Amino acid sequence: MPDSVNCRQASRLLCVAYDRGLDATESEALQYHLGRCLMCRNFDSQLKFLRKASERFRTGAD
Amino acid sequence: MTDPRFADIESHRPYLLRYALSQLRDGQLAEEAVQEALVSALESIGTFGGKSTLRTWLTSILRFKIIDLQRRAVFDRAHLEATDFSAQDDESWLDELFDGTGHWRIPPQAWSDPEAALEQRRFWEMFEKCLDRLPAAGGRVFFKREILGEGTDTICKEERITTSNCWVILHRARLALRACVEKNWFGKEAARA
Repeated sequence: MPDSVNCRQASRLLCVAYDRGLDATESEALQYHLGRCLMCRNFDSQLKFLRKASERFRTGAD
Repeated sequence: MTDPRFADIESHRPYLLRYALSQLRDGQLAEEAVQEALVSALESIGTFGGKSTLRTWLTSILRFKIIDLQRRAVFDRAHLEATDFSAQDDESWLDELFDGTGHWRIPPQAWSDPEAALEQRRFWEMFEKCLDRLPAAGGRVFFKREILGEGTDTICKEERITTSNCWVILHRARLALRACVEKNWFGKEAARA
């Protein structure tokens, strides 16, 4: 199976996955891409980290 | 005489202003709401029991001030529609980040020990600076979505934009924030001696 999404599309899917969820095709394509792309895996964990930072920013945990 | 908590309260002003701006969109009104909230907070600091964080407590006071201001009809709903999101439909901005084949122009690096950064005051100063660099509308939508945790449906209604428009705005804001944080904190070039 060829990689059906590139990094640009994967970055979009990673974002909308959080906002609306992905359908089965999108999810499969994204997982396949992530399996082969370290840069997008980095991007994925960074998004999660920024989300955590944002939550923390709201409460200003002192 | 001076309660040491006064300085603590004041240190949350930039956050509160950002919150007020996300709700009121008008700099002057936002300043007014924050000022009133801080005055109330100083008057009633004795009732703050520390059950929530100080920031959460201050935000709840601010929320009432904002509703108040909105009710006082000073709040002109018409000008809210003036925000032009049309340019946001255009995805050419992605070309700055990805090449013609859709690869990252500057590949995201692995960030070392991000958790530790959360404990550092300078990280949060940098974080706020990066939030400031987001385009006004993008920053507001990002603030509502990621910081306040509002759903995109609610945000779309408030901002009078389509859902797909909202997703594009968020995609852009996240990419921009990520790049800014990497450049200024985690990146190899980031000087943080």
